[in-house]
Amino acid sequence: MMQFLEQISTWLGASPIGYFAKHYEWVWPTCQILHFVGLVMLVGMVGILDLRMLGVAKGLSARPLNKFVRFGIAGFVLNIVTGVVFYAGDPLQYLHNPAFQWKMAFVALAGLNVLTFYATGMFRRVDALGPGDDAPLGAKIIATMGLLFWFAVMYMGRMLPYLGDAF
Amino acid sequence: MQQTPLSVFLRESGSVWGFPLVLFLHTAGLALLVGSSLVVNARMLGVGGELPTAPLESLFPIMWTGFWLNAISGTILLMASDPSKLLNPLFYVKMAFIAVAVWLMTREKKQLFGAQAGPAPRWLAVLSLICWFGAIVTGRLLAYYGKGTRA
Repeated sequence: MMQFLEQISTWLGASPIGYFAKHYEWVWPTCQILHFVGLVMLVGMVGILDLRMLGVAKGLSARPLNKFVRFGIAGFVLNIVTGVVFYAGDPLQYLHNPAFQWKMAFVALAGLNVLTFYATGMFRRVDALGPGDDAPLGAKIIATMGLLFWFAVMYMGRMLPYLGDAF
Repeated sequence: MQQTPLSVFLRESGSVWGFPLVLFLHTAGLALLVGSSLVVNARMLGVGGELPTAPLESLFPIMWTGFWLNAISGTILLMASDPSKLLNPLFYVKMAFIAVAVWLMTREKKQLFGAQAGPAPRWLAVLSLICWFGAIVTGRLLAYYGKGTRA
């Protein structure tokens, strides 16, 4: 498994994306800025649905909040793209970095959490919530987990240079 | 300020519970403050237009929590950083963006929920988005240009 990941990493580092990330001085800071913009979009625009499930801003019906969530997904995509640029810029500083491994684990957990939301049909029950309605307990648990996982992703991202040696 | 025991600990301990933790808190505060403000601005610009605006008032305490978390963690980061940060014009541009953004926040609150609440002008939301973006850009650039820590 590790050998396979190392091969992919080496290939990515030698790819045009790797070249792009390493050879232009403006690429890294620009992607950093976009990574933080994506972070804010993701946490804010998905977080509002989580908060509604937890009973904050209860006067909002849930369905129209999906229009906000779309921007959150856009933020997530932005962060995958910029994240790949960072990774390609210096793959080996991430691959063996415990903070990076934890960060990816929490991204995966957040993904599983979203999957649970849809697969269990909880999504439909939340979608039907009108103004003032209380979300089911399952939805509240999913919302709490979602928020926790994203803040854990953020924590591990910040620890990249400290638990490991990424910059 | 650079010489207080806290500053020295943060700068020199190398512990992940020192400087890196404060850095994380600063990022978490950013997410709370700007993330919530983004939701209010998006609604003002017509996203989820069928939703009432009144319930969004409960996002304001979250924004203020993020603001104070960052005012405090930002001050600590500054104390633990290279003094040259204070000579960097980017720092003052960042502070100006934040000052205007926070002023806009209070204006939005008055417009949306105050005694004379009514449809809030869109320029408030547009300007707020510009200021937050400016604060993020200058904040990131401060970490990459100028000597000292990677805050």
